[in-house]
Amino acid sequence: DHHERKRKKESREVHERSHKARKMIGLKAKLYHKQRHAEKIQMKKTIKMHEQRKSKQKDDDKTPEGAVPAYLLDREGQSRAKVLSNMIKQKRKEKAGKWEVPLPKVRAQGETEVLKVIRTGKRQKKAWKRMVTKVCFVGDGFTRKPPKYERFIRPMGLRFKKAHVTHPELKATFCLPILGVKKNPSSSLYTTLGVITKGTVIEVNVSELGLVTQGGKVIWGKYAQVTNNPENDGCINAVLLV
Amino acid sequence: MALYNFKKIMVVPTAKDFIDITLSKTQRKTPTVIHKHYQIHRIRHFYMRKVKFTQQNYHDRLSQILTDFPKLDDVHPFYADLMNVLYDKDHFKLALGQINIAKNLIDNVAKDYVRLMKYGDSLYRCKQLKRAALGRMCTILKRQKQSLEYLEQVRQHLSRLPTIDPNTRTLLLCGYPNVGKSSFINKVTRADVEVQPYAFTTKSLFVGHMDYKYLRWQVVDTPGILDHPLEERNTIEMQAITALAHLRAAVLYVMDVSEQCGHALSQQLELFNNIRPLFANKPLIVMANKCDVRKISELSEENQKIFVDLIAEGITVIETSSLTDEGVMQVKAEACDRLLAHRVDTKMKTKKVHDVLNRLHLAVPTKRDQKERPPFIPEGALLRRKAMEMDAPKRKLERDLEVELGDDYTLDLQKYWDLMNPEEKQDKIPEVWEGHNIADYIDPEIMTRLEDLEQEEELREKAGEYVSEEESEDEEMQEIRQLASQIREKRKLKILTSKEKDTQGPRMPRTAKKVERATLEKEMADLGLDMTDKDDSHYALRSRSLVRKRKREVSAPPTSRTRSQSASRPPRDQSGVRDAKMLKKVKTMMKSSQKEMNRQGKKGESDRHVFDVKPKHLHAGKRKSGSTSRR
Repeated sequence: DHHERKRKKESREVHERSHKARKMIGLKAKLYHKQRHAEKIQMKKTIKMHEQRKSKQKDDDKTPEGAVPAYLLDREGQSRAKVLSNMIKQKRKEKAGKWEVPLPKVRAQGETEVLKVIRTGKRQKKAWKRMVTKVCFVGDGFTRKPPKYERFIRPMGLRFKKAHVTHPELKATFCLPILGVKKNPSSSLYTTLGVITKGTVIEVNVSELGLVTQGGKVIWGKYAQVTNNPENDGCINAVLLV
Repeated sequence: MALYNFKKIMVVPTAKDFIDITLSKTQRKTPTVIHKHYQIHRIRHFYMRKVKFTQQNYHDRLSQILTDFPKLDDVHPFYADLMNVLYDKDHFKLALGQINIAKNLIDNVAKDYVRLMKYGDSLYRCKQLKRAALGRMCTILKRQKQSLEYLEQVRQHLSRLPTIDPNTRTLLLCGYPNVGKSSFINKVTRADVEVQPYAFTTKSLFVGHMDYKYLRWQVVDTPGILDHPLEERNTIEMQAITALAHLRAAVLYVMDVSEQCGHALSQQLELFNNIRPLFANKPLIVMANKCDVRKISELSEENQKIFVDLIAEGITVIETSSLTDEGVMQVKAEACDRLLAHRVDTKMKTKKVHDVLNRLHLAVPTKRDQKERPPFIPEGALLRRKAMEMDAPKRKLERDLEVELGDDYTLDLQKYWDLMNPEEKQDKIPEVWEGHNIADYIDPEIMTRLEDLEQEEELREKAGEYVSEEESEDEEMQEIRQLASQIREKRKLKILTSKEKDTQGPRMPRTAKKVERATLEKEMADLGLDMTDKDDSHYALRSRSLVRKRKREVSAPPTSRTRSQSASRPPRDQSGVRDAKMLKKVKTMMKSSQKEMNRQGKKGESDRHVFDVKPKHLHAGKRKSGSTSRR
């Protein structure tokens, strides 16, 4: 009687589910409701899809691009003017040396945020040393200065060598080694130190991707901009600048 | 060994369930309250604990899965091969390998994030790091979804495999599909394998157990094998081949003489020759089954020749029929004997045998004279043995009767009753007779019991148990009896008198009334006391002084009273004192106990009054030399 029981169990399941949904409280209930909500959305979508099949829809492809309704026919001249002004703006930006990056504006990080004061000395009075509290990158051949003289301490636990770089067009993410920090938007000091915060432009080794220039040379380094807060997430996520 | 504990493998949860369980466990079992203003090391520790706890849980559970599942290299090759056939060894190993990798990855993630958390300087940062760590661990596990599902299915199937012990005595049945292997096993053991007319009814190995010569034997039923080369065999047939290859058992190759299975005898012979190499080193018996339909002697010449050839090669061929039970016992006996002999032989060849043999010694008693002393076998045992050998039923069984009569058969147990008058066997038993319920009296041994009881009674009477003796009471007892009867009489009289009394007003207790001297003396005299000369007894004086008190002469204390009192009661400082020496000692004790109190000016021993609670000379002034820790 396995099939009988299975059938009955499945039909009972509906009642049990609704009973559970009504009676649960607390954190479990929140998670359960969220899950159920997602399920219901899916169900509604499939139902809608089934319904669409039966009804008739407006076909967007039939209207050609640039087709304008009758009352807008007079204003053609405007579009050309817009194009020209855009070109001028672009040229101005290029002269200023502003690049087009995915995150044009980021929050500036103050020194107290990035560098922590380390007290030294017999009576812990001297405060000339600083420790970096954000994720940083040091090169391959990096050796520390003698501890007595080093002013900026970059702890080993916060040194990262790899970044998860996303190609914006391919929508694929690769784990690529970092070559260096190009520019930190908050301060040039951070750039020299190699501090990586949100919005920093870093150079990554893209030989893995196998990109080739027009001339036939293999591209092995490209710029990428960091898109997350690495000190909060424990990893560096960046977007490749193509 | 994980060999026979396939049923004890822990359930492998699905990826989603696994993540849910672990995360909710983390939430329940670690502290949940944390505030921004706590010290940073406390915040760090709080979040690090959560990360480590989750990692620990995942690690434990995954390790358990890895150890529970049998390692194909560690189990008996029979099981290893069987599992390969059923579950594909590569897939199995890959799945377990993936789980192992996931476990290592989770450990690494936890390590990294705990290291990062040491640099967290705010609650928000530590919290984000914890969130990232847990999220990463869960993603790693989400990727293992397929492996976990596969392993769960393997576990379910594994737990349902029959427990075949590869090392004990086993009989293995093989042959074409539908030749009668499952019917044979159903006959010989208690197994209940499905028997159907279509081929491949048995799809996997089945085990049955039977007893022979006081030993336990396994009988393994395999699915039928068709005749094609090894590479082309499907999973079901491969199971049979695996069993053949690895189990050291006696092989019973079953052939269908009547060709009802759909394959000619020549085909069956072909198959036999093809799998011959698998029978090496195993005692082999060919069963010519379904002989109730067609006997070997009824076969055609060439088919008969096949069997003759087989016999010529030295292979035992036995005709059997699962339906009529013909030859089944013979096959069983033959196979078991041969297997036992084979096993003993192999054991003899190993080196270990000599250890045992060297220790065994058969001692035979030496003959002391020429008298023959054969073993003594009682007659009953001899007869029984003969009956067993003849193998004929001693009496007509009920079963045979049933078969004979068919539909007319009724079970009639009354014919076996042992009555004095055999013609009464079929009579109906009444329920009530002469007003008595017969059921109450039914006792098979009632006559013997009655006789026993009567005998006992006689004995008792002879012994004189029932003669009641008059006890010779001594004088004391008689007096006591007389007194008791007197008391009872008096009591009754008193009750009667009190009932007759006319009570006026509230009933006062007996002690409230005064007792007249005269009544007291009279009562006591009645009881037998001597009350003649009682003038200076205490109750006589008392009554007199009480009377005096009533007259109320306040001015002068009634001298008689004091005198009487002092006469009746000794003064306190003289009571209990035996002589003058003791009196002196008592007086000094009294005085010395009062000395201290008098010195302190106390009124008595309960006087606790303090005249000066805080004397000035102790609480005023500077603290000078000496200890200054108290005042």
